Amino acid sequence: MSRRGDIGASGGPLTASLYVHVPFCVLKCAYCDFHSAPLAREPGVADHFAWAVGEGAAHWAALGTLDDVPSIYIGGGTPTTLGPALTSLIDALRRSVRLAPGAEVTVETNPDTTDPALISQLVHSGVNRFSLGVQSFDAGILRTLGRCHSVASAEQSIETLLACGARVSLDLICGVPGQSLESWNDSVDRAVASGVGHVSVYPLTLEEGTALAEAVRSGTLEHPDDDLAAEMMECASARFAAEGLQRYEVASYARAGEESRHNSGYWTGRPYVGIGPSAASMLPAEVFGAAIDCEAWSDPGVAGIGRTLESVPPGTGRVRFVRSADTIAFLRKPVGPPEDVEYLTPAQAAAEDAMLGLRLAEGITDDLAAEAGGTEALRDLRARGLVEHREGRWRVTANGWLLGNEVFQAVWFAGARRGLV
Amino acid sequence: MSQATHIRNFSIIAHIDHGKSTLADRVLELTHTVADRDMVEQVLDSMDIERERGITIKAQAVRVLYEADDGQTYELNLIDTPGHVDFTYEVSRSLQACEGVLLVVDAAQGVEAQTVANAMMAMNAGLEIIPIINKIDLPAAEPERVRHEIEEGLAIPADEAVLTSGKSGEGVRAALEAVIAKIPAPEGDPDSPLKALIFDSYFDTYRGVVALVRVIDGRVSKGMKIRMMANDTVTDVEEVGVRRPANLPVESLEFGEVGYLITGLKDPALVKVGDTITLARHGATEPLPGYREVKPMVFTGLFPIDGDQYPDLRDALDRLQLNDPALIYEPESSHALGFGFRVGFLGLLHMEVVKERLEREFDLDLLATAPSVEYHVYTTAGGEVIVHSPQDMPEAGLIERVEEPYLRATVLVPPDYVGAVMELAESRRATFKDMQYLSATTVEMHYDIPLSELIMDFFDQLKSRTRGYASLDYTYIGYRVSKLVKLDILLAGKVVDALSFIVHRDKAYQRGRVLTEKLREIIPRQMFEVPIQAAIGGKVLARETVRAKRKDVLAKCYGGDISRKRKLLEKQKKGKKRMKNVGNVEVPQDAFMAILKVDE
Repeated sequence: MSRRGDIGASGGPLTASLYVHVPFCVLKCAYCDFHSAPLAREPGVADHFAWAVGEGAAHWAALGTLDDVPSIYIGGGTPTTLGPALTSLIDALRRSVRLAPGAEVTVETNPDTTDPALISQLVHSGVNRFSLGVQSFDAGILRTLGRCHSVASAEQSIETLLACGARVSLDLICGVPGQSLESWNDSVDRAVASGVGHVSVYPLTLEEGTALAEAVRSGTLEHPDDDLAAEMMECASARFAAEGLQRYEVASYARAGEESRHNSGYWTGRPYVGIGPSAASMLPAEVFGAAIDCEAWSDPGVAGIGRTLESVPPGTGRVRFVRSADTIAFLRKPVGPPEDVEYLTPAQAAAEDAMLGLRLAEGITDDLAAEAGGTEALRDLRARGLVEHREGRWRVTANGWLLGNEVFQAVWFAGARRGLV
Repeated sequence: MSQATHIRNFSIIAHIDHGKSTLADRVLELTHTVADRDMVEQVLDSMDIERERGITIKAQAVRVLYEADDGQTYELNLIDTPGHVDFTYEVSRSLQACEGVLLVVDAAQGVEAQTVANAMMAMNAGLEIIPIINKIDLPAAEPERVRHEIEEGLAIPADEAVLTSGKSGEGVRAALEAVIAKIPAPEGDPDSPLKALIFDSYFDTYRGVVALVRVIDGRVSKGMKIRMMANDTVTDVEEVGVRRPANLPVESLEFGEVGYLITGLKDPALVKVGDTITLARHGATEPLPGYREVKPMVFTGLFPIDGDQYPDLRDALDRLQLNDPALIYEPESSHALGFGFRVGFLGLLHMEVVKERLEREFDLDLLATAPSVEYHVYTTAGGEVIVHSPQDMPEAGLIERVEEPYLRATVLVPPDYVGAVMELAESRRATFKDMQYLSATTVEMHYDIPLSELIMDFFDQLKSRTRGYASLDYTYIGYRVSKLVKLDILLAGKVVDALSFIVHRDKAYQRGRVLTEKLREIIPRQMFEVPIQAAIGGKVLARETVRAKRKDVLAKCYGGDISRKRKLLEKQKKGKKRMKNVGNVEVPQDAFMAILKVDE
């Protein structure tokens, strides 16, 4: 998990994860600023989408990026709104993707779309992990969040998912306007009692333009209290630890062996290919360079960056890029150039990996800290009690978890001070 | 050159927003002075800030040729005056250049405080006053009521007031006819030595200082040797001309005429508004009356957020001063804010405009400290100290007495709001002088008030407490003894000099308490607890605490989030950069102006 993925890109097949973005939801939640839309009612959209994802996968497979895939994550939106077409989507992926042994295949779902028949089909197609958006076991909080499911249907869904033998993760949100510590602790306890092996905990972020942010701005809802949210995060951490769910990342708790392989890749610099509208990818420069040369990317009729990508700037180590959020464009032309491209030098990539690695309980090695130019900044953070250093690794402290931005910022800008960023 | 009999020199005066500049624009249109294609709204307000705020800061003069109903062509010199009480002296000099004024009154708003003040000034200058009731196109227009207010409140006959709409242009021609018929042609002596009044000046990068002048006696022409009487500067006339509105050189300006004059002088301090120009040899012996040195009334510290911009700030102030000799400044250093300048202004609007121009035209990021006034401190040792900045206040034990500048404030308000005005005045240490009904709908109230209180958000408070109905004008009346003390603000136990302010002893406790509360709201939570204290000498009057930040983490960070969140961190960092590091405490710019927003 701690190996930096793109370092080994030059020898052997590239090890890259695969992310598929399904931009459909039954209903948009009050706090969500992700790219999603209610599934178009027209018949055939779901099947068309599954086909398009398959085309995308074939394109990336042809470039040699999907030969050793340790994890697939199908997220959204709510992928299970696709219904049976989701099974076709996975089948289409599997025609191009070569999964590494023991690969993790995750599907995101919500209580109102967790249909037992669909779930068992998905498991049959190779899905071995589900991430269920529960958010809270308090009906009042679910209403505030604009969730369109009940507590009972959440509990029913957990049972369904666990019964089919897959690993299950729950999401919980703290710091919601009107949420008491009692309500939060109750949700944490019920998450533990449900028997799942993984829980993600997020303090609510009021994203501009969402219904929830608007309600807070207009005074309809109280502004969430930061101190209370901090206390909730600490309470959760203690309760989960007592029940054997260890915190392995800022927001992630798992029983031993149930950590998300896919997500861990994001924090350790493993490349990933994203398929679908607004899907993000991260690849070594040489792989991206090969993609630039392919025919589908130079077709001016495709929604993308609006100009032909010439070539990767010299000195680039890593490329991050995002597809257009236009679902119709994706359905029409599944393979096309990105809308947004960011080139990072190897030094910038190292600073980024150090920053992201400090999200993890295992922290980062001395070597990575040095490569990122962050050793001095880390010493400074240690003096402030935000990180600690032992056995050749830098890790965040309990306080560092809560004040993560101080740590991430210091480490990222340490590179900037050296003129790397 | 026209015969003096066919010249009319006049100003348009009005309360702010009564439509003065729009009316001036219609005059330029009607007389074809500005081609339609060049017609920008409010031609005479040439600065961006003037146009945006709808105010006139610099006086302007333009010559228009008007073919009157009698078939003859007249030369009209329209002198547009600044429309704000900060620039009262400039207005008085502009009026000195005229024989008459158009007193513009909004047909809906009626007579307001500056209407009264301007009318008084015009009367004192012995000018012919033509009342204009403007904006008659407004649905709320009540020309009859306003006519009554002008007659009752100002004692100006208004039966022949001209009704105009600057918007549609209606009545503008009638106004010009009134100018011809009622405003006298200039009188003067063509054979006396030159006497010309400087009523404004501006700086031209290529030509140096350009003076706008009204020739009272004699004539001035290119090549003459002239003398500025106030500071006894002798120089040559390089060019004379008229403004149409672009500069148009002419051979000479005769008595009664208005135009510009270029001497090649580069130092604006030598060409002073209100000064008299005469001949270098055999010139006039007596200058024109009314000249005075312009003195700044309000002072503030201006500091660059980024210390490296200090030289840029100095250069920018130098540049602005060329066109604004009323602006004065001297270097100031603060433990909290580093190097900057203590800058003196005519008033609050002048201050705001200058700060905005510095930031906008010179791309500076500035931090301004709370405005202060000039205190006269008499020490027990018998000395006198002039204090422009709270930092310069001597220790309490060394002070015998302190004097502060007072104003006579005139407030015009509907009777329903008299109580609200009294309440506000009371809270600002104002002494009630008298009150009278100008009409059934307008009460005129007079107060003596310390300038330091007036610059503390007084006008905004007055407006909000009277639902915008009250209007305000004031004149300086002199220094008075007050019980004043310096209040210090401590952050994390250390005095922050830039937050100190001078306050009346009886108000100190309350101001200190409210300000610490305000600062608690403004200063963001930091990694450690930040105590905020207000103290006089060593005695703490009030204390608040900014609690330490407990949580600040972007919890969700997956594939699509990484670039976005990194940018968010960068944005957070930029936000921090815009704050000032005072000791270890990050203090937002607002904090230094918080004292102005202490709502009582």
